[in-house]
Amino acid sequence: MLEATLSALEQSARLRINGAKSLEELEAVRVDALGRKGTLAQAGKEMGKVPAEERGRIGKLLNAVKGNLEEAFATKKRLFDEAALKARLDSEWLDLTLPAAGVPRGHLHPISKIQAEIEDLFISMGFVVLDGPEVETEYHNFDALNIPAGHPARDMQDTFWVEGGHVLRTHTSPVQVRGMEELGPPLRMIAPGRVFRNESVDASHDHTFYQLEGMMIDRDVSVGNLTYFMKTLLGSIFGREVTVRLRPGFFPFVEPGFELDIQCLLCGGPGCAVCKQSGWVELLPCGLVNPNVLRMSGIDPEEWNGFAFGLGLTRLVMMRYGIDDIRQLQSGSLRLLNQF
Amino acid sequence: MKFSFNWIREFTDVPQSASARDLERLITMKTAECEGIEPVGGLLAAACIATVASVEEMPGGHHRKAVVETERYGLKTVVCGAPNCRAGMTTVYVPLGTKSIGGVESDGMLASGAELGINRDAAGIVELAAGETLDRCSPDGVIEIDNKSITHRPDLWGHYGMAREVAAILGSELRDPIGMDLLPAGNAAIDVSIADFSLCARYSALVFENVTVKPSPLWLQYRLEAIGLNPINNIVDFTNFIMAELGQPTHAFDRGLISGATIFVRPARTGESIRALNGEDYDLAETNLVIADASGPVAIAGVIGGEAAAISGRTTSIILESANFQAASVRKTSAQLKLRTDASMRFEKGQDPENTTRALARAVALLEELSPGIRLVGGVADGRKPAAEPPVIQLPLDWLARKLGRSLAVADVRQILERLQFGVSESSPGVLAVTVPSWRATKDIAVKDDLVEEVGRMIGYSSIDPQPPALLASPPKPDPKRLFHRELRALLTGIGFTEVYNYSFVSLEEIGRFGFTAAEHVAVLNPVASGQELLRTSLLPGIRRNVVENTRYFDSFRLFEIGREIHRQPAGLPDEPAHLVAVVHARDDGAPGLFELKHAAETILPGAAIRPVAARSFEHPARAAEVLWRGETVGRLFEFGPSMEIDGRTAVLDLDLRKVGRRMGGESKYTPPGKYPSSEFDLSVLAGLREHVGDLRAKVAGFAGSLAESVEYVRQYSGPPFSEGVKSVTFRLRVGSPERTLASEEVGAVRTAIIEGMKGLGYELRV
Ligand SMILES: [Zn+2]
Repeated sequence: MLEATLSALEQSARLRINGAKSLEELEAVRVDALGRKGTLAQAGKEMGKVPAEERGRIGKLLNAVKGNLEEAFATKKRLFDEAALKARLDSEWLDLTLPAAGVPRGHLHPISKIQAEIEDLFISMGFVVLDGPEVETEYHNFDALNIPAGHPARDMQDTFWVEGGHVLRTHTSPVQVRGMEELGPPLRMIAPGRVFRNESVDASHDHTFYQLEGMMIDRDVSVGNLTYFMKTLLGSIFGREVTVRLRPGFFPFVEPGFELDIQCLLCGGPGCAVCKQSGWVELLPCGLVNPNVLRMSGIDPEEWNGFAFGLGLTRLVMMRYGIDDIRQLQSGSLRLLNQF
Repeated sequence: MKFSFNWIREFTDVPQSASARDLERLITMKTAECEGIEPVGGLLAAACIATVASVEEMPGGHHRKAVVETERYGLKTVVCGAPNCRAGMTTVYVPLGTKSIGGVESDGMLASGAELGINRDAAGIVELAAGETLDRCSPDGVIEIDNKSITHRPDLWGHYGMAREVAAILGSELRDPIGMDLLPAGNAAIDVSIADFSLCARYSALVFENVTVKPSPLWLQYRLEAIGLNPINNIVDFTNFIMAELGQPTHAFDRGLISGATIFVRPARTGESIRALNGEDYDLAETNLVIADASGPVAIAGVIGGEAAAISGRTTSIILESANFQAASVRKTSAQLKLRTDASMRFEKGQDPENTTRALARAVALLEELSPGIRLVGGVADGRKPAAEPPVIQLPLDWLARKLGRSLAVADVRQILERLQFGVSESSPGVLAVTVPSWRATKDIAVKDDLVEEVGRMIGYSSIDPQPPALLASPPKPDPKRLFHRELRALLTGIGFTEVYNYSFVSLEEIGRFGFTAAEHVAVLNPVASGQELLRTSLLPGIRRNVVENTRYFDSFRLFEIGREIHRQPAGLPDEPAHLVAVVHARDDGAPGLFELKHAAETILPGAAIRPVAARSFEHPARAAEVLWRGETVGRLFEFGPSMEIDGRTAVLDLDLRKVGRRMGGESKYTPPGKYPSSEFDLSVLAGLREHVGDLRAKVAGFAGSLAESVEYVRQYSGPPFSEGVKSVTFRLRVGSPERTLASEEVGAVRTAIIEGMKGLGYELRV
């Protein structure tokens, strides 16, 4: 009797579970069938009327029906949950092509960029990076570099003079002197920085620009060593093997002094507008440090010697990025700076 | 400095096939920098001498038909507009093809000096003197050498010197144009008195009479014109010619206008002045060396002649000066008088005293041709300090090889130096004793390092292989300041700031806007342009300008600059602290820019505090604060005030990086996280509307005691139910202990302590 009731109960509950149209409907079925006052619980109360010898079997049957219905219920519920999750996620559709939130990144000044690159290169070759004042003593800017008062080379650089007999440094070379004075030999140093020339301004000349000075003092430093470092430096800056040549150039703080030319990167030698048809582009002055310069900084030129070079950072930046007006670099114009 | 290829070739043989361009390349690689080549005298290739046989007026009166007998092309008929065209004259014909002018077939043309490039005379056709030829007038190439690159080479300021260099490069023979035997012997017609041999190492002079002032021959005019010197008359021209050839400036005085028979070389006397050949009057000082006669200065030594004894059409006798003046003295005088001449430019480089009489010998030869009938009067006047022994430099060859990075045979070094006219002998095995010729000994070559260049440039630096140094490098010490500046740049660009570079100069107008005074700035003594009078004591004027200019194109932006302020000091060099200035600009209203910058400051300086302070004149009066870092003021946070005249709002952060950098570093130390849970509760304090939350928080934290782990600001609110002028500020307290879980009574005690404490200060609390 109870057996038949249970069987019918299971069948009808299953039908209702499967037929449930919503989670609420399904829950109602669960309460009806499996709740504390549900049909299954009611059937359970009939257990007392079952003969004792039948009770074990019917009890098992009751549990089986209960288990089957719970499982059916759970399966159906999972279907509803999955559908609900899917619907929610679908409703959360976002257009990821909309602009990003937050502040867009800023831009490093191109001189800072290239300066850092060259600093890292030299640091990796054992050079220290030194700094000096923008307002320099006449001694450090001229005399200690073998340019005494009255030397015609002073005319080569138009100098801003300030009160106290000081100058706005016309080159980063005075940092060489400070390096030699403070650190002594052996010495490998570079000095990037801002320099000043008192001249009229046009697209290729500014009264303020950036240089990077380099110096190596050791025993038996040769012209061959200088070429080696310059080739390494320029190869790294331009990202490829470069051909360089040295030709005589006069700078009082070096002897011999050179102009270093680089084979034109645009035409590779035959000549073009950039290299003025010569196949070469003048890049940097360099040379072996003049013994007078060493001596003035307290270094014995019979024991030590070295090379020095001066790289035009501003010029390099203009070459690298194709900037045709030097004045743009210190204009603070975001229309330029946003490109870096 | 311009060099004529043809002139150089008069002194040394350049291979027939070589062009001016080839020579320019050689000079560039071995000697000095060339700035370009300019061809001149192109028409002279086909030109020839022609005699005008007949001239016939053409209708209209502007042109004439001339029949000319040419040396190379036979009889030609040309139409000529030159007013000086007349039968019987000798001129120059250039074949240019035939064209019809006024109905006459004109075959070629008669040329003016200007058309031929011989001189600047375009008024008429060129006229040859009897017997004059065009032998030395052929197309030429003018090589321009960068003056800076021969600053140290006084010998290269003349064609002969450059030819000497070319001969050394090519290994060709050098022909000296000077015949010293032309100099007359005997007593000089004038005396020379030199006050100070250190200012004038040598003064040589020669007197000529029966001088005729007239145009120079065409070949000489052409030489001068080619290198950019305007031919004037034979006397002016020959001095220019000698200077361009030998590098030795000379000066001709009208002897008739010189009083007395002595030339004095002496410092100017106080109160003396001179009217120079340029028509200007110069007041002289004792630092100026002058050439004087019995009545006063007649020239400024080495710089310019005076009008008093100038050559004129009436001149019949001249005193020719060829002297050697001290480089520094000439340079100083020339700078002081702001007068640079071709002569002063050469003397400044330190000329060779041996060259003075060579120039006089050259003058004797030239003047015989340029002023026929001229006569020498007496011998050479020659005052000089005794000639110095030529310097000898010991050059060890192994040292030379180490310097160059390449070994060299003794014979090769010897040959190179000898071609450059050094005297060479082997003083000991492997060491050369090198004697410096007089024209390289004034300034140029003094020590063995100078010889490295002589040998290096001649062997060619391309023959030296690049070599890494033999010594090992050690890693350099890290530089915390530089690293910090780099970190700042990376951080700021990462949060949206763009780096600008501004000039170190500021104008009076700009500092006025900021209320700074000129007296606190380092002044530039010789600015070329306005706006360069002072050096910046703040990066603010620069970045303000950036803001104003960028608002023309952008509504909002973030900028920063890392640069140096320059502050004058009572003595010594100025102080140059590095600063960071960052700005957030937005056209629309609001205050988020300031909080963005406060966030930047706290990111750069964890634990930094902001303390409101009185605003400066250019700051927003209610939005200004100091940045404190470990107890020290290291900067300011503010908004630009209305006097900045910026469209929109600009928040500014200005940090003194030296103060900050000094305190950077220090390793982090780890403490294990607490094992016991902590408790939280909120408290609201009622306070005046303008009371600083930071102050309230500090007070609450003060009463919270040691069990408080954090006191966080949650929110503030004003409005109902609170009365006007009152706000409620809510803080969240977290209390706990690293040793145990706190009992609720202990947490309550902290809460009570805060409430009681704040009440004691007169605050009402909402709990
Ligand atoms: Zn090219």
